[in-house]
Amino acid sequence: MTVTVEQADQEFLDAACLALRAPREGGDPLDALGWWDLLGELADRDARMAALALFRAQGRELATSAALGALMAQPFLAATGHAPGSLVAAINHRSRRRGERLIVIGDVAGRSLLVDRPGQGAGVVDADRVGLRPLEVAGRLALHEVELDPSAWAPTVAESHASPARARGQFLGRLALAWEILGAAEGALALAVAHAATREQFGKPIGTFQAVRHLLAWAKTDCVALESVAVTAARLDEATPPRHDEVVKALAGRNGRRACERALQVLGAIGFTAEHSHHHFHSRVLALDALLGTSAELTHALGGWVRQTRADLAVDAAALLASPQ
Amino acid sequence: MSHLTGSGRRDVLRDDLSAYAASFEAWLASRPAELVAAARPLPVYAERVAVTSELMRALFDEGWARYGWPEQVGGLGGGILHRAAMWEALARHGVAAMALFEHLEILAPTLVAMGDAGFVAGTLPRFLRGEERWSQGFSEPEAGSDLASLRTRAVAADGGYLITGRKIWTSWARYATWCLVLARTGPPESRHRGLTAFAVDLRSPGVEVRAIEQANGTDELAEVTFDEVAVGPERIVGELGGGWGVAMHILAHERGTFAWFRHNFLYRQLLETVETGTPAADRLLGDALLDLAAVRASSHLGLHAHASGAALGPKAAFVKLLLGASEQSVNDWALASDPDLAVGPPDDEAAARRQDYLFSRIVTVYGGSQQMQLDTIAKQILRLP
Ligand SMILES: Cc1cc2nc3c(=O)[nH]c(=O)nc-3n(C[C@H](O)[C@H](O)[C@H](O)COP(=O)(O)OP(=O)(O)OC[C@H]3O[C@@H](n4cnc5c(N)ncnc54)[C@H](O)[C@@H]3O)c2cc1C
Repeated sequence: MTVTVEQADQEFLDAACLALRAPREGGDPLDALGWWDLLGELADRDARMAALALFRAQGRELATSAALGALMAQPFLAATGHAPGSLVAAINHRSRRRGERLIVIGDVAGRSLLVDRPGQGAGVVDADRVGLRPLEVAGRLALHEVELDPSAWAPTVAESHASPARARGQFLGRLALAWEILGAAEGALALAVAHAATREQFGKPIGTFQAVRHLLAWAKTDCVALESVAVTAARLDEATPPRHDEVVKALAGRNGRRACERALQVLGAIGFTAEHSHHHFHSRVLALDALLGTSAELTHALGGWVRQTRADLAVDAAALLASPQ
Repeated sequence: MSHLTGSGRRDVLRDDLSAYAASFEAWLASRPAELVAAARPLPVYAERVAVTSELMRALFDEGWARYGWPEQVGGLGGGILHRAAMWEALARHGVAAMALFEHLEILAPTLVAMGDAGFVAGTLPRFLRGEERWSQGFSEPEAGSDLASLRTRAVAADGGYLITGRKIWTSWARYATWCLVLARTGPPESRHRGLTAFAVDLRSPGVEVRAIEQANGTDELAEVTFDEVAVGPERIVGELGGGWGVAMHILAHERGTFAWFRHNFLYRQLLETVETGTPAADRLLGDALLDLAAVRASSHLGLHAHASGAALGPKAAFVKLLLGASEQSVNDWALASDPDLAVGPPDDEAAARRQDYLFSRIVTVYGGSQQMQLDTIAKQILRLP
């Protein structure tokens, strides 16, 4: 989509997809991409766009890494003294059945874990010193629940410092999740488009039927809407209005799910099998929607907040009309 | 022109968008009477036309509305981003709608790009100043989505043309001086190849404009008939036989960049009534905010593409679909928050909101229906078989 993605960004996205699809023997594809080095340069627009493009590639390629946690830990590094990439944030997640949980994504062996407790501050624990229980999650996501002995945690970053770092970490984390949802939705759509061109019924490809064509066109529109919002937010970064990360994440969950549902309808029964790849993309979207605020929660909360405060959520026109370069 | 004390100042406002926006902001902050008048909810359409035309006059005389247009047509230079900044600020300062000046962003760019230079230089300033207005005569009773089947004919006569036929759903024709008419100059079966666009003076003999009362209570749509209406050759916009290209140029704006302009007014409508919301409708309000964010992000990219001389092409279909969706979700929320809109509007404000709600139900039809946009995406972007 050249409407929104510039040449350099597109090239990085292609390179990231390739590196994730065919990692060199034993090597870390993020190393090969130089991704970890981007973490120290997030103030730079190009570095930020590239850092986030990795997540879109992960969605498309159904790959997992510790990138999300590393990105969310980045704002804490000044306080903890860690090098970029060596500290990975555990994500706070409330389970209805199991209460407050800590989740990590990807391989965190050899790194430190940032355990952030709103109201109490943040502390660092050694990843090799905690229990990591793998969670059964579809979508080829490597998720672990952290089993942490309560005595092993003490705040090393006081709440007054943790609070702004947390907000920034959530902002980055929500954007990254939105980009990964976008990639996964695009993956599901690509399968459905290919299917529509080859699957025949009534003697012709189902992609010739207008009802099917329109489902796919809507799915593409869902993706383009998300892409525009995610790319714009990443480009403007701190020039976005308050709670814009929630807007981006809410839109991602909603549009990502919609695109997957439309794609599934086009696939028909084959899309409902374990054998077909659709469910990997679809489940990944569902799992990512559940992290850092679901679309349902965020959408409702944003509505209530604007109703009560009349807050202006629109991205500043001057920032948008200024040259995108 | 208070701010235009010297040409140096003009150059700054032309070349520096943020300087333009800041100066305009200061002018708006002084709450000129024309701005205040255009910010009131007015259920009678003719009154909306009157206050908006007055506002255009003030904006032109102060110079603001002249930025974004070339000097040859009465402008002060600059580009579409000036216009985008001006209308965004007007919406933010409470102006209710662009009303019929929407054609400044739908039709006018094509007139400038493709019209006869002398004709456009004579007429565009009057449009910009709100003295004369335009309408778009494409659709016919038998030619809706299938625009290329239109039958209005233009026959060569006395060095010019005689136009005969019937147009319908011509927005604002009754308030307009001009109509850009798409007529057949080729043989009946020539489809899109045999069309030419003409600028027709609606005051000419042989023109009849009949208002259409709409389901939402206003009557800005019209049926326009042409009975051997004479037009000179300088009234051809684009080439003879090039009418389809003209129509596509216009529709590219109506779909690709116009959303930026319109969505600012939807957002204003939402924010100004937000305290009428109920907790039960918070989810709908949230959804409307997401939809507006999507239009804002996608349409600003369309503006930049346009400003850099590119066009969105078929991708404009996305922006058009997103704009329609946002207008409907804003109004879904409005109705859920205020069921009076469905029963009996008690005052002007509610009456105007009811009109807006009902209008939002048909926005997925004009400018190429939702189904036509989806067809475009399926064929030209997804390249389905
Ligand atoms: C508020 C408003 C303002 C307007 N202003 C103007 C104006 O200023 N100037 C002007 O020229 N026109 C104007 N129009 C007309 C507008 O362009 C037409 O309404 C539009 O092109 C659709 O044509 P139609 O209404 O005849 O519907 P039809 O073309 O008859 O379509 C009816 C329904 O059938 C669907 N349909 C048609 N063909 C297909 C197909 N091949 N596949 C799938 N579905 C199909 C359509 O999507 C639609 O849902 C306006 C319309 C409205 C509602």
